[in-house]
Amino acid sequence: MAAKDLVASGNTVIGPSILINGKLTGDEDLTVRGRVEGELSLTKTLIVEPSGVVKANVTVKNAVVSGVVVGNIQATESVELTQEGRMVGDIRAPRVIIVDGASFRGRVDMGELPPGRSLPERSTPRPQLRPAVRSLPPPPPRPGVAAARPGGAAAAAAAKKPGGMPGIVRTEATRTPPPAPPAPPVVAAGAKKKVVLKKKK
Amino acid sequence: MANTVIGSSIVIDGEISGDEDLVIQGTVKGKISLRESLFVEGSGVVEADIETQNVEIAGRVTGNIQASDKVELKADCRVVGDVKAPRILIADGASFKGNVDMDVKER
Repeated sequence: MAAKDLVASGNTVIGPSILINGKLTGDEDLTVRGRVEGELSLTKTLIVEPSGVVKANVTVKNAVVSGVVVGNIQATESVELTQEGRMVGDIRAPRVIIVDGASFRGRVDMGELPPGRSLPERSTPRPQLRPAVRSLPPPPPRPGVAAARPGGAAAAAAAKKPGGMPGIVRTEATRTPPPAPPAPPVVAAGAKKKVVLKKKK
Repeated sequence: MANTVIGSSIVIDGEISGDEDLVIQGTVKGKISLRESLFVEGSGVVEADIETQNVEIAGRVTGNIQASDKVELKADCRVVGDVKAPRILIADGASFKGNVDMDVKER
């Protein structure tokens, strides 16, 4: 943190007794120890120090908030709320760090999850689960599952239902039906993620 | 360390007020009111009305300047606007267009 602050406090500093009301744009790091109200857009890093107050819509590359921010922050890289950071507003950035002690109220949007990172995590447990599951005796809900299996459309329709049980039907439709106990949490998690993706698109 | 610097790539459109020194290397449009000194450096561009105690200008200022103490126009500065202050210094090489009012009332 300390090293980062030193690097970033290079050029522009808004001192503690200064109030800027309006629009601020720039291509360099900005350290706020006073107040900035209105609109703030930078192509570099914004640092709001503990004495700093920003009431503005912020567009930056990186933001480090140790003071108070009221407004939305959109960052192309990262937003960090440090221990002393207080923020009310929405954050939109691929990397969002909220440290213990920070206070925040608002939405966080990290955008589309990078496929390289999330897919292996999701796909590996499933193949492990399925073979083990298949050898077990079939559970009671099996007839319903079997009915859904032949029609691809029926399986797709079942997939759209948000409930946990239809989720099971969907994922297993292409394969053998599983017994309930170990499978549902993993499968249901997969179903939930799918639903979220559809909503976004 | 209570020093505010507006860096050379920064553009502010609005109002700046405060109780400390302000150094402008970038661009400020709107209004500036301080109770301390304002320094407009060579790269600084100000299109604003200024109200401070002291002003030192080496850059470009368009707007009216009112200082409670002193206004100093340095060489190579370009100022367009009215200047009102008890003490006004214009250095050789400065370019200035506007009214000067030193507020000579008690004479």
